[in-house]
Amino acid sequence: MSSSEYALDAQNISKIYKRGSEDILAINDISLRVRRGEFVSFVGPSGSGKTTLINILGCLDNATSGKLALGGKTIFTEKKKLSEGELTKVRRQVFGYIFQKFYLLPTLTVLENVILPLTFYRKEGTVKDALDILHSLGLENRIHHRPAELSGGEMQRVAIARALVNKPEILLADEPTGNLDSKRTREIGEVIQRLNREEGLTVLLVTHNPDLARIAHRAIELRDGRIHVDSSS
Amino acid sequence: MKKNILSLFWLLYLGAWPLWAAVGCDLNDPDRDVKRLFPESTSYKTIYMSIAQKGGEALLRQVEQRLGDSFQGLFETMDVPYTMYQVFRGPELIGYIHGVNQKGQYGGIQVFLALDLEGNIRGFYFQKLTSRYAKSLRDPGFGRQFVGLNLRDFYNYNIFSGETSGPSRVASIKNPAAEAEQDFRAALRATKKNLILVDEFLLGNKYLKYFIPPE
Amino acid sequence: MKIYQVAYKNLLRKKVRSGLTLLGIALSAWVLVSLLGFNRGYEQALNRDIDNMGFQVLVTAKGCPYEAATLMLKGGTGLRYISESVAKTILEHPEVEAITPMLMQAMFDPNKGESGGITAYLGIDPGTYPRMKSFLKFKQGAWFTDPDGFEAVLGYEAAELEQREVGDSMLIPEKNIELKVVGILSRTGTQDDGTIFVPIKTLQRIFGMDGQLTGVGVKVKRDANISLVEQDLYDLPDVQVVSLAQVKQTIMDLITTAKMMVFSIALIAILIAMLGVINTILMSVFERFQEIGIIKSLGAMPWDVFKLIWVETIILCFLGGALGIAFSLGLSKMTEVLIRRLLPYTPTGSLVAVNPGLALITLAMVLGIGIVSGLYPAWRAARVRPLESIRSEGE
Repeated sequence: MSSSEYALDAQNISKIYKRGSEDILAINDISLRVRRGEFVSFVGPSGSGKTTLINILGCLDNATSGKLALGGKTIFTEKKKLSEGELTKVRRQVFGYIFQKFYLLPTLTVLENVILPLTFYRKEGTVKDALDILHSLGLENRIHHRPAELSGGEMQRVAIARALVNKPEILLADEPTGNLDSKRTREIGEVIQRLNREEGLTVLLVTHNPDLARIAHRAIELRDGRIHVDSSS
Repeated sequence: MKKNILSLFWLLYLGAWPLWAAVGCDLNDPDRDVKRLFPESTSYKTIYMSIAQKGGEALLRQVEQRLGDSFQGLFETMDVPYTMYQVFRGPELIGYIHGVNQKGQYGGIQVFLALDLEGNIRGFYFQKLTSRYAKSLRDPGFGRQFVGLNLRDFYNYNIFSGETSGPSRVASIKNPAAEAEQDFRAALRATKKNLILVDEFLLGNKYLKYFIPPE
Repeated sequence: MKIYQVAYKNLLRKKVRSGLTLLGIALSAWVLVSLLGFNRGYEQALNRDIDNMGFQVLVTAKGCPYEAATLMLKGGTGLRYISESVAKTILEHPEVEAITPMLMQAMFDPNKGESGGITAYLGIDPGTYPRMKSFLKFKQGAWFTDPDGFEAVLGYEAAELEQREVGDSMLIPEKNIELKVVGILSRTGTQDDGTIFVPIKTLQRIFGMDGQLTGVGVKVKRDANISLVEQDLYDLPDVQVVSLAQVKQTIMDLITTAKMMVFSIALIAILIAMLGVINTILMSVFERFQEIGIIKSLGAMPWDVFKLIWVETIILCFLGGALGIAFSLGLSKMTEVLIRRLLPYTPTGSLVAVNPGLALITLAMVLGIGIVSGLYPAWRAARVRPLESIRSEGE
C-alpha cells in the first residue's frame, strides 16, 4: 500500500524524558501505521507510555527520534523537528482532540465554545456547521448555556463538537470517558463509533475501559514503551 | 535671580492682597469668638442659609416689609449666604450667634449679635467698622446698651425716622458721637435685620406676632 | 467570534480583581489628566494675568529685592521709588508708544480684619492708564477724570469687601482723608479685582510723595523689538526693567519645582497601576495555563494567544483610562481646590483647563502603558506548550 493511503505513518518513534539526572525512556522504538477510517484503541497499564505515544502521534509533543507522516506528508524526521508554531499548523489542519477533562472555557456558551477554533483558523468550518454538529449530538437545546449548567456527558459532547468543527481527519481521544459514569460512557462510545462509521473519521482512542476499547477495529496494547500486542497483525 | 524675585513680588503687590469673600459674614475666628461670647459653651455648629434658598422672592418681600426698608444696592441681595452659629454646652443648645454686613459711611460694617434661646440679645459687637469714631462705637459701653433687647423692641423702631412708636427699649440706646449719626443708624438697621433673619431662620418666626404691618 | 470578545469575557470572569485593577488605572488617569489640565490652565491663566497688565514692560526702582519684598509683606514700608523725570525720559524713546506712571502706597488700617490689615492704593494717571487697559469694564460708574480729585475706582472685590458703591465715601486711615467712589469695575479674575485706584497726583500729595513713582508701565510700538527697548531702558540710572516675558519665566521657574513634584507622584502612581495591571494579567495567565494549552490545541498560534492576552490588557487599560477621565471631569472643581493649596503662587481665574484634546492624550498614554504592561504576560502565555498543561491521569 502506498503511504498516502495511510492516515498516519510512524517509524521508530522514541521519547526520552529527563527527570532530574535520570533519563527515562518512555517510548522505545515504536512503529505503526493507521489507515484512513480506522478506529484504533490504545490500552495498557499505567506508565506504559500510551498517553506519551498518542501525544507524539497527535503532534502535541516532539519525539526524541523517529519519523512521522500524516496522510502521506512528512511531518517530522530525525533531522527535521518542528517548532511550536509549525506544530500548531499541523494540529489544526489534521486533528481534533478530546480529553478526560473536557476543558471547555467557562465564560463562553456552548455555541461559543464550539466555534472558538474558528476564531483562530477556518479550514472549512462555519457557524452553520457548528450548529449542525451540535444538533447531531443532541445539544440543540443547550447552545446558549454555559458549561457549568451541563452534565458531564453533555460537556464531553460539546468537546467533541468543538473537536469536529474544523473537519479534522483524525480524532484523538485521550481517556474521554474517564470522568463519566457507565451510562454516559456508553453514550460517548456510541457517538465516536457513529462518527467513525458514518463520517469515515480516523480515530485514535486511549482508554482504560475494556468495554470502550472493544468498539474499536483494532487494539494496540503497550507495555513499557513498546507495542506488546497489535490486534491487526 | 534677585531681579526676578522683585518682579514677582511686584506682580503680587499690584493688588493681590488676600481677598476674603465679603458677601457672607463669618466670625473671624469662630473657635475664639464663640468662647468669648459664650464662655460656658463647649461646642458650636455652623449653618449656612440664604433667602433665595429658603423662600425666594416671596420671602424677600416679607423680610423687607418687617425691616421697613428694601434691600439695597449691589451687595444686599437675596443670594447672600447668612452664617448662623448654634452654640452648645455639652448636648444642650444654649444660644445663637449671627452677623450681618451693613453699609457704613466709609466702609462695610459687620454687626454680630449673641442671642439666647428666646431671641434676646446677650452680646453686641462690631466685628468690622471703618469710622472716625470707631473708638467710641467699639467701646463695650455702647454694645451693653443692646443687651436684653429683642425683635419686639425693634419692630417698633423706624429705621428711616430713627424714632420709636410704642413701647421699645431702642429709644434708650444713645449715640456716643453726634457726627457718627450715619454709622449709628446703620448699626441699628443692621441689628434689626440681624434679629429678623434669626427669627426667620432659627426661631421659627416666634416674633412675627408682634409685627404690625403699616397701613 | 472575535479575539476581543473572548478577551472581554475572560476579564469578566474575576470581576472584583478586574474591578480593582481598573480602579487603580482610573486613579492614575485622573491624576495624569488633571496634571495636564493644570499645566495648561495655569499657563492660560498666567497669560491672561499678564495680558491684563496692558503694558509689556514695567520699569521699577532698583533696590535690594529681598529686603523690599520682606518689608512689603511686613507693613508696606520699604518701597523704592523712581522720579517722574525717568518716566519722561522713557517717553522720549523712539520705540515707546505710551507710558503710564504708577505709585503704590500702603497704609495700615486698624479697622480692617481682625487686628488691622494693610490697605493698598494704586495711584494712576487717568489720562494714560485707562487707555492702556481699555478692556477693563465697569459694573457701576467710570474712571475718574480729574487728576487732582479725591476720587477712587474700586475693583469688584475691593468694593464688595467694604460694601462700597458709586457715590459712597472711603476713608484713608490715619490721613483722615475722604475719597469719593466714582466707579466699580466688573470682575476680571485678576488682581485688579482687589485694587483701589486713585489719581496719582492725589496719592502723591496725600502721602507726601510728590514727583515720585514706584513704577512706569511701558507700551512699545507695535513693530518694535521689545528686547532692544529693554536694553535701552537698562541704561537708565537706578532702575530695574521687568519684561513681562521675564516675569512669566520667573513664575514658571518657581512652580517648576512644584510641577516636578506632582509629576513624580503621577509617575509613581502610573508605575503602581502598571504593576497592578501586569500582576493581574500575569496571575490570570498562570491560572489559565491549562486553558491556554487547550486553545493552542484548538489551533491557536502563539501569536493568537499573545494577541488574546494583550487585548485583555488593553481593554482593561482603556476602560480604566476612560473611567479616570470621567472622574476628573466630574471632580474638576475639587482638583482645583487641592492645587491652590499646594502652590505658593496661583493666578486668579480657572486653573484646571481640561479639554477633549487633553483627555485624548491621557487616554493614549494609559493605552501606551497597557500596551507595554501587556507584553510580558502575553509573551509568557504564548510560550505555553499545550502538553505542559494537558496531562491526563493514568500516565
